[in-house]
Amino acid sequence: MKLNSLKSSLLLLQTVSQSLEAILVFGSEWRRQKLPLYLFLALCLNLFVAPIVYAASGNEFSRTQAWALGLLGLGTLALSIYLFFVMFVPEKF
Amino acid sequence: MKTRNGSAPSTSSRPIRVPSGRRGDRKHTPKAQHQGLYQRAIRESFVKLNPRVAVRNPVMFVVWLGTLITLLVTIDPNLFGTVQADIGQQRLLNGIITCILFFTVLFANFAEAVAEGRGKAQADALRSTRSDMIARKLLPDGKIQEVNSTELRRGDQVKVIAGDMIPADGEVIQGIGSVDESAITGESAPVLKQPGTDIASSVTGGTRLLSDELIVRITSDPGQGFIDRMIALVEGAERTKTPNEIALTVLLAVLTQVFLIVVATTPSLSGYIAGFLGNMAGAAAGDRLRTGTSIAILISLLVALIPTTIGGLLSAIGIAGMDRVAQFNVIATSGRAVEACGDVNTLVLDKTGTITLGNRLADEFIPVNGHSIQKVADVCLAASVFDETPEGRSIVQLAQKLGASVDLEGKSTEGIEFSARTRMSGTDLDGKEYRKGAVDAIKGFVRSRGGQVPVTLDEAYEHVSRLGGTPLAVCQGHEIYGVIYLKDIVKPGLRERFDQLRRMGVKTIMLTGDNRITASVIAKEAGVDDFIAEATPEDKIDVIRSEQAQGKLVAMTGDGTNDAPALAQANVGLAMNSGTQAAKEAANMVDLDSDPTKLIDLVTIGKQLLITRGALTTFSVANDIAKYFAIIPTIFAAAGIGALNIMGLKSAQSAIVSALIYNALIIPVLIPLALRGVQFRPLTADQLLQRNILIYGLGGIIAPFIAIKVIDSILPLS
Amino acid sequence: MLQGWIQITLTLLIVLVITPFFGRYIALVFMRQRTMLDTVLNPIERAIFSWSGVRVREEMTGWQYARAVLYSNLAMLVFIFLIFLFQGILPFNPTGLRAPSWDLALHTAISFVTNTDQQHYSGETTYSYFSQFAALGFMMFTSSGTGIAVAIAFIRGLTGRALGNFYVDLIQAITRILLPISIVGAIVFIGAGMPETLSGPAIVPTLENPAISQAIARGPVAHFEIIKELGENGGGFFGINSAHPFENPNGFTNLIELVALLSIPTSMIITYGIFANNLKQAWLVYSIPLAILVGFIVITAMGEYQGNPAVNALLSGQAPNLEGKEVRFGWAQSALFAVFTTASMCGAVNSLHDSFMPNGGFVTLSNMFLQIVFGGQGTGTAYLFAYLILAVFVTGLMVGRTPEFLGRKIEKREVVLASFLILLVHPIAILIPAAIALAFPEQLAGISNPGFHGLSQVIYEYASAAANNGSGFEGLGDGTLWWNLSTSFSLLTGRYIPIVALLLLADSMSRKQPVPATAGTLRTDTGLFTGVTAGVILILGALTFFPALALGPVAEAFQIIKGIG
Repeated sequence: MKLNSLKSSLLLLQTVSQSLEAILVFGSEWRRQKLPLYLFLALCLNLFVAPIVYAASGNEFSRTQAWALGLLGLGTLALSIYLFFVMFVPEKF
Repeated sequence: MKTRNGSAPSTSSRPIRVPSGRRGDRKHTPKAQHQGLYQRAIRESFVKLNPRVAVRNPVMFVVWLGTLITLLVTIDPNLFGTVQADIGQQRLLNGIITCILFFTVLFANFAEAVAEGRGKAQADALRSTRSDMIARKLLPDGKIQEVNSTELRRGDQVKVIAGDMIPADGEVIQGIGSVDESAITGESAPVLKQPGTDIASSVTGGTRLLSDELIVRITSDPGQGFIDRMIALVEGAERTKTPNEIALTVLLAVLTQVFLIVVATTPSLSGYIAGFLGNMAGAAAGDRLRTGTSIAILISLLVALIPTTIGGLLSAIGIAGMDRVAQFNVIATSGRAVEACGDVNTLVLDKTGTITLGNRLADEFIPVNGHSIQKVADVCLAASVFDETPEGRSIVQLAQKLGASVDLEGKSTEGIEFSARTRMSGTDLDGKEYRKGAVDAIKGFVRSRGGQVPVTLDEAYEHVSRLGGTPLAVCQGHEIYGVIYLKDIVKPGLRERFDQLRRMGVKTIMLTGDNRITASVIAKEAGVDDFIAEATPEDKIDVIRSEQAQGKLVAMTGDGTNDAPALAQANVGLAMNSGTQAAKEAANMVDLDSDPTKLIDLVTIGKQLLITRGALTTFSVANDIAKYFAIIPTIFAAAGIGALNIMGLKSAQSAIVSALIYNALIIPVLIPLALRGVQFRPLTADQLLQRNILIYGLGGIIAPFIAIKVIDSILPLS
Repeated sequence: MLQGWIQITLTLLIVLVITPFFGRYIALVFMRQRTMLDTVLNPIERAIFSWSGVRVREEMTGWQYARAVLYSNLAMLVFIFLIFLFQGILPFNPTGLRAPSWDLALHTAISFVTNTDQQHYSGETTYSYFSQFAALGFMMFTSSGTGIAVAIAFIRGLTGRALGNFYVDLIQAITRILLPISIVGAIVFIGAGMPETLSGPAIVPTLENPAISQAIARGPVAHFEIIKELGENGGGFFGINSAHPFENPNGFTNLIELVALLSIPTSMIITYGIFANNLKQAWLVYSIPLAILVGFIVITAMGEYQGNPAVNALLSGQAPNLEGKEVRFGWAQSALFAVFTTASMCGAVNSLHDSFMPNGGFVTLSNMFLQIVFGGQGTGTAYLFAYLILAVFVTGLMVGRTPEFLGRKIEKREVVLASFLILLVHPIAILIPAAIALAFPEQLAGISNPGFHGLSQVIYEYASAAANNGSGFEGLGDGTLWWNLSTSFSLLTGRYIPIVALLLLADSMSRKQPVPATAGTLRTDTGLFTGVTAGVILILGALTFFPALALGPVAEAFQIIKGIG
């Protein structure tokens, strides 16, 4: 009984540590793979931008088009920031 | 006034190799394999599409992203706004644009890949000379352990036996042996290596010991040797941007940013006008303008305006520059050093070996004190029989030509070696002391033996000096017999090179241990701008410092250990491969052929590198005028500015596609120029500017007008 | 026609003749050498320095200089902003004007601090006399002095000297250059008929019906007028600026105003030549903006002289375009004034730029895009040399050396600063807000004349703000919150980013070890290199705005041609 509970708690500990490890690996992969993270953030941000574009343009654009335009605008902004980065730390490129 | 130390010239112990003839004749490093270069480059140009690689080239990355977006609007032309025109046609146009943009990126990748590929081929050839080998490592207890050469560390000692490869760069500490260095220098004659002597003690990894045994102390960790560094450099693996490249990258990024803003704001401007036209001239007019400024077309405009030509070729130019240096059989430790070559203001050159042929030859015996020329020749011969230096042998030859002879049979003989302290050498023959050496050294010797110095000696000394020769006095015991005229021979063709350098604004300073008069004559004959006579190694560093204090960049060559500080101080230090390890460590370039004259060629290579970069930048920027005039009037044609279409292009579609095709094709067209470098002529800066502005500036304005017009008339687009 | 061209030529000649003398005088002042005003000014300056606690001998680094500029300008900004807000309770307010809206006050304050003097108001009905002379008049001296000081620091840095001390330079720019000329000029202007009074508007019976009286605005105009032109400020005392008969009564005052508003930017190039001890280069550099200026004058004047084809068709004869112009100045002096005022970043106007032919719109816009056709107070010269540095960098590599300017290597830092301030600030400050405004023409732009002309109006407003010119194309409902705030952004971006960049650029140039010139050095004082610089200016500076120009004045010109055809 006692041994059993010890075993089960050990098992639990193991699972926790494993999942922690997995998260850590995932996290480090996250840190290494910047591009997907940025894309994800852009999509999130676009949830705010797209409705603005849609509202501002009247009936000119469909929802999809407004969404795409919002993303395009964010992409342009990101590109611009990237170019500023190149300007100030050109050694890295 | 400078004093000189070891100046007795005839008996210098340095083996100075004469460069074997003209550049074309010299054997190079094992020939690089260019087979399959292009296939590999094509494969590489697709590999480089990986965004993580693409992001390192800002200008081309913008094109890369543009391609992605045009691909999206090819799939769905209505993605960013409903198209008010024939959707099939719009899709076709977007598709064409996508293709051209994709090829633009590929071409730029290809340029880089070809440059890298050529460097890799060179590196592979080098690497093949040093496959892993087994080294006999000497353990502290004297035992020998067989280890892989890659496990050797700095400070380890190894034993090398005849037939073995020398496992790594090092210094001979024991034994004498001849080494075949042809693998790296291309020179087939073996070189004698022995400990202690400045130069002959350093060995390079990958060379082969032909005879005897050597104990070598390793001086570099694996991967740090010269060959490793060269491999890394030509392969582009360790390529860091040079200062000029960095500055240029900034300018390109700024230009890209500017045009990004221009293009990104255009839809708002044209949208406003389209709205106005829609109200005034009917919906069709507004729609025409909107179609003219669709996303794909705006991206085309952006790509046409940003400096893709130089952006695509920039890294290829840099890699090719390093490659050119490597082909010259020179190892540069950094791209920065190669670039600095172009900026050099002053060359500090050793007289011997650089300006004059290493070997001075005896040209004449001048008797003094009333001795006959025959007698002088006899004494000279006797004093030189044991002298194995080229100078000594030339004295023997001249003496024998004059019929002199010396009888050594059955007599007690002893050769007296040259030393820096006595500054003379000679022979003790049957109790008689034959000596030759620097005039004042011989004077001292004769006085110490109770002799007199004849007045005519100084006359002969000055006579020889004024001819630009080196005077050596000869004596026997307390009697001075005459003066040997050692003639310095200025290398052929140097005068013209120095003239060219002067025209390019590079000053040459000759350093020599000779006296003032001799030095000035040689300087005049060779055409150098300045000289320093009776120079000590310390003078070298002083000259460099004083030139640098004026803001000048100085290049110099050196081989001895006492050159090391000067090599380190100089902006460009070229060490000879035959030189000591210390000299090679201090320098930022090593010449495998040990030809100091190469410094002049390096200046040319450095300048060529910079000119190529500048020329393509100017060309790329000048192209914008034509592209603007091709694209803007046609896409804004609905706004009534069609008359600005001075090229008479057929339609907006055709104009854009033509401009883009030109933009893409100009990259592969210019690849050979980028790899070979712009032809360099030794002209003054003003002449160079005039010439290059005419070709690349004016040419850059005119060429695209013609090319775009031609492409437009060929294209079957309406 | 001939008379008009003679007027134009004479005015240009006077400007040219003044240049070397004035340039030398400015150089002497800032090289701290003896000038004729020493006896009067030395004690005054000493008193100012000791009273204000300025440490005269303290040299500043680039950052210190830039910080001094920013802090002092911020302090002045707050000061005049407060004056505007409290003008209702402050003295010298005969017409009882109350505080303007906060955004207008802020915009006015920023616009005068930045030496722009863009006016979204009419002076006579918005600001009290006190606001006009204590806030606006004060800023006209200090903002212009700031420009001179920055240019001098830039020239010093370029020629390898220490940058100097901002406070000393600012004070000396005012006491030795702006104030003496302004005092003489104001007296001349009073003599020529300008009012200089603190009494309120004159109430007079109208000529047509003596029973009805009218109020004629007046005030301390004469002293305001001379520094408006000399300091490249351009903010009029009255709404219609130098077209107002009290601000510019006759041809004589018009001539003085024209010469005054171009005198400092032109002379500053010669000042550089004296600092660099290379007058040949100075005159060669001078020839670039001069050639552009002459070309622009011809383009504008031809357009105005030939008049509107549509009108000419109605008249069935050719007549100059006099719409929006004062007839006492005619087509020639109006065109000349328009070109001069946009070239020099003064921004005073003696006619309505809105009603110029498209040629005029093209030229005035291009002037402000380029900013170097002599350009603003001091900054114009500095921009010109930043272009020179950029030209050296682009083409200098082609001689096979790391590019050098005046023996100093152009490296990453210099390229970042020069290309940033020359190429990037303008598109950011002009195109981005213009694009936003034009995306919402009804809501934001307030365009009076829709179409190509309306586009020009919007672009012009931001170009004028970003280039610190301050003239208006007019015809724009620009007193709104959007316009006040968005142009404030352009004003600040167009003024302070370049100033900081210029000072840092000068600083890094001055710290470089100069390389002695050899035959391999690119010489920058040759005709060839001057031509190359002109090409770089045209390609990099002007082409950026090609799409805007194409959809604005160029399209308008074609529309007019088509209109009659």
